[in-house]
Parts: sequence; C-alpha cells; structure tokens
Amino acid sequence: MQSYISIENLAKSYGVVTAVNNISLGIEKGEFFSLLGPSGCGKSTLLRMIAGFETPTSGAIKLEGADVTDVPAHKRPTNMMFQSYALFPHLTVGKNIAFGLQQDGLAKSEIRKRIDEVAEKLQLTALLDRKPAQLSGGQRQRVALARALVKRPKVLLLDEPLGALDKNLRTETQLELVRLQRELGLTFIIVTHDQHEAMTVSTRIAIMKQGQVLQVGSPSEVYETPQSRYVAKFLGETNVFAGSRADRSGSELQIDSDEAGGRLHAAFTDRVALDAPFWVSVRPERVELATSGSGLEGTVEQLTYTGVERHYRVRLKSGATLDARRVNLGAESDLGVGDRVFASWSPQASRLLAE
Amino acid sequence: MLTAATPSTKTNWGKRLLIAIPYAWLLVLFLAPFALVAGISLSTVRLGMPPFEPLTARDGSILNLRLNFENFLYVLTDDTYLLAYLTSLKVAAISTAAMLFIAYPLAYGIASCSPSSRSLLVFLVIVPFWSSMLIRVYSWMSILRNDGLLNALLLKVGLISEPLRILNTETAIYIGIIYTYLPFMVLPIYSTLSSADRTLIEAARDLGCSRISAFWRVTFPLSLPGVLAGCALVFIPVVGEFVIPDLLGGADTQMIGRAIWLEFFNNRDWPMAAAVTIVLLALLVVPIVYFQSRQSRERT
Repeated sequence: MQSYISIENLAKSYGVVTAVNNISLGIEKGEFFSLLGPSGCGKSTLLRMIAGFETPTSGAIKLEGADVTDVPAHKRPTNMMFQSYALFPHLTVGKNIAFGLQQDGLAKSEIRKRIDEVAEKLQLTALLDRKPAQLSGGQRQRVALARALVKRPKVLLLDEPLGALDKNLRTETQLELVRLQRELGLTFIIVTHDQHEAMTVSTRIAIMKQGQVLQVGSPSEVYETPQSRYVAKFLGETNVFAGSRADRSGSELQIDSDEAGGRLHAAFTDRVALDAPFWVSVRPERVELATSGSGLEGTVEQLTYTGVERHYRVRLKSGATLDARRVNLGAESDLGVGDRVFASWSPQASRLLAE
Repeated sequence: MLTAATPSTKTNWGKRLLIAIPYAWLLVLFLAPFALVAGISLSTVRLGMPPFEPLTARDGSILNLRLNFENFLYVLTDDTYLLAYLTSLKVAAISTAAMLFIAYPLAYGIASCSPSSRSLLVFLVIVPFWSSMLIRVYSWMSILRNDGLLNALLLKVGLISEPLRILNTETAIYIGIIYTYLPFMVLPIYSTLSSADRTLIEAARDLGCSRISAFWRVTFPLSLPGVLAGCALVFIPVVGEFVIPDLLGGADTQMIGRAIWLEFFNNRDWPMAAAVTIVLLALLVVPIVYFQSRQSRERT
C-alpha cells in the first residue's frame, strides 16, 4: 500500500558533498513524524526538499500518490514553520497570519473568520495588531505556527520549531503541539536534534546520520530495540560492551566480554550476526547495583545527585566504566564513592547491537 | 570609594566628547555660515567691500538695526525665481525617479550575487568617486559635444546622418545628474537588500507567493528604508545642483543653483543671492522632514 507521503530513493548533492543519500521513507496520514539527528545529518535538507525549497538530485516525493517532486514550493499543499519563525517584520500579527490566505485570493470575510479561529486556538487574539518586534519568543513561535496552520496544509513541516525557546517553555510547547496535531488530525513532520523532543512529540522517529536513515520506529521501539551502536548511543545514555564470544543455550545467550570483564546474559535474537563484531548494550536505569552477590565487580567512582535520580559511575575491574541510575524514592543512598559493588541486569535488558 | 565610580564616569565623559566633536564641527562650519547668510539676506546691496550694508549702525548712543525684507519680497514675487525653483524641483524629481528605476534592479542584482562578487561589484559602483566630479562632468562634455564621442559613434554606425544636439540641453543635465548621483541611490538600497533575511522570501513562497509576488509583498516593502534614504540623498542635493547644469545645460534651463551663482558673481548682489538661498533651504525643509518621518515610521 502506498503511504500518504512517500519518499523514494531521494538524494541531494551539493557538488561533491552528499547531503541526503538515497533515502526511502513512508509517512502515514495523521502521523507526527520526527527526523532526528545531529547537525549536518541531512535532516533539514530532507525537510526542505519536501517543502519544495530544494530540488532533489534524484528520487521522488509523492503526496497521496501524486508525484510532487517538480512542483514549486508555492504550489505544494505543505506549509513550513521556520526555525527563525521568519515572521514578516513589516506586517502586524494579523497580517502575517492573513498573508497566505490573501495569496490564495480568499474573500475578506473568510480570511477574518479563519484568523479569528486560529488566533483563538493559539491565544493570539489580543496580539493581532502588534508587530513581530513587540512579541516575546513564545508569542512569535505561536504566530509562526498560526501562519502555517491557517492555510490548512495537508502536511505541516516544522524545522527545529522550539530551538529558540527556553527549557520550561519548550516542554510546555511540545505538549501543546501534540494536542494541536491530534485535534486537527494533520500530518506533522518535525526536524530536531533534540532526542527528548523527538521522543515527546512523535508517533515515529527516523534517526539520521550522514544523509542516511539508520532506523525508523515509534519512540519506544527505537529506544528499547536500537539496531545499531549509533542509535543506542544517540537516543538516551547507554553502556556498550564489545562481545568477544557468544554461546546459545535455549532462548538465552551467554556472552563473554573482555571489555566488561565477565559474562553477560541476553535474550537470543537472530537479528544480529554473532560471527561479525557485535556489542551488548544496557541502559543505566536497568542496571542493578548491590554490595554483594554476582555480576560485574567494580567500585563506585562517582556519585551524582540530580534530584529525580542518583547517577553512579562504576569503574569495573576490567578498567571499563559502567553507568547506573536509581530513581530517588526518598531513601539515602546505601552506596558511596569507593564502595565495592556488583552490577547485574536481567537478560531482557541486554540488547545485541551490530556496528 | 572612587574605584567603583571611576570607570562609568570616564566612559560617560568619553561619550560626551565623542558627541561634542561632530556637533562643534556642525556648529562652526554649518550653523555659523548659515547665520551669516541669513544676516546678509536681510541687508541692502551697496558698492564696495563687502558689497552689502551692515545690519547695524550706530547713531550716537543708539544702535539701529536695519532689516531689509525687500529681497525676500522680490524673490517670492518674481517669475524668474519661481520658474527656477520649479525647474530645480522638476529636474530633481525626474532624475530621482529615473535613478530609482536604474538603481533598484542594479542593487538587487548585486545583492543576489555571491558574497565575493558582491564586494567587487560594490567597488565598481564606488570607483567613479576616485576621480574628481568636475573632471567627470567635463568628460561628459566631450562625450556629448556635437563632434563628441557619442555623435561620432552614432554617425559611424549609421544610426544618424547628422550630429544630435545633446550638450547644452536638458537631456544633458539629466545624463550628468543621473550619472553623478547614481551611487548615492544604489548604496543604501543595496545595503537594505543585502541585509534582508532570505528565509522571509522562502516563507512567502511557502505561503503561496510566486517569485514576483514574494518580491512585491516582502522584499520591496522591507527595502523601503533604503529607497527613502537613497531618494533623500539624491533629491536634496540635486535641487541645489550648480556645476552640472552650468557645464552641461543650456541657457533655457535655469536651475536655482545657477540663479544664486549669477546673483552672486555676475550681479554682485549678495543680499539677493542670500535671500534666494534662504528660500531654497526653506523649500528643502519640506522633503527633508517628509523623508525623516517616513524613515522613522519604517523603523518601528
């Protein structure tokens, strides 16, 4: 079945530099889809190709089955919210929002109605006569959103939309975006380098690196079952140990790791070839630390208190470090710096990773 | 005690000094001469040196102030001056409009080039300033003469069979003024266009504008401060321009700058020349205030 938006073998090169390298993706109607990756990974270029600002070197972009690859930006049913908001400084908030509707030649009364509607939804009613220079960062962000949404696009493209907001406002706005997107039933594609943001807002995330998509999945899929070392490390924090040898016993794998200095356990999977180099990853919050028992032996080297959690950095006997976390449930930590500890985790917490 | 206060007082004085220097300059070199000219405009012409009566005369222990408003009455009622003022305003308005049409596409073109070629192109716009304006106007005389370069070229190509009379006509004045003042129109427009945020154009395109409508709805309104600055920089000096109409124009185009020159040097009527000058300044206050208020409005 054809996706709502389908990106087929899309590539973009600038001279010898390849920004987007043969990407194929399907995005469904009503999704909140994230393109996540570090700066320079090609995520913005991909978004700009969907908007029509960049012409692909090869490949195609289809919207509802129709090829829009060569349709110019002003004729595409997509609207973009820019990172810098790109509000027109010479126009009032109301006229900024009306801009696209006037261009479509809508009747004045219809424009008025739609502006009032969107202004109310985004709490901009009192600001319609102000100029962008008289607004706060959060207000500008809402105007930029209103200006794009008022056109009722099939797809709303958001390029790092919250990058300029401070942390508290950003979290608030993320939830607001999700609420709006559900309410309107629109398809949103967001570009971000902030993994928390991607996890918070998205139905699915595409993790990108050097012009390619490494993995696509729901936030829990990409976090719980990363398929590569890069994805595991990029999303959240994780401990990664190189595996030296693996033996299968039933549904479990016994893995010897020289790096960790001991035997690790993992659920069997045929997803990762064990004759090629492989790694075992475990999230810090899944690691249990005990003063006695079995597991990897080490000493607590650092203890950080963040309020919500305590972070332990353990120096293993092998010389490697292991991070562990405990949620702060009110009790004092029974572990201190210099204490001897044994680290263990359930086989289901281990993830086998390819390069 | 002093340590905390010292730096701020120091910078404060430095700031004041920095502002005081240009203001002192303006006071000595503009306001004082202006007062002198205003004074002369109210005196009476006489033979001798200086060629005007002093404004004050002592009669025993009484100091008499004698102000002569005759000159102003004459300037404001005489058709010759009225015509000269109108001609000056017309020439300034037409050449400002013509320069805007030439300079805007030029500035737009330069601003859309890559940064490295931009600086070369801006340099080329400024290069004429490297030689004296007088020399450049004289060169135009030799180009536009009946036996000049332009006519020689047109004759050789066969476009005309006898030389065109361009020198000493109004056309020559326009050519000279537009050529000389064009950079003053190009540079402010270029500077607003080159500092414009390109994503605004993308936003306009995204909201449904073709390239042309994005230009008219976003680029052009945002460049208005530069357009206004360019118009002010060109219009105001052109109204009082003397050298170009004197060298390139004919007797039939009497501009006010030339009228002042004739009063001053030919008729040696300094009070009349001063009165014409003061009226010209008063006339220019109108466009200056207009440009200033438009600009401050654009900024908010």
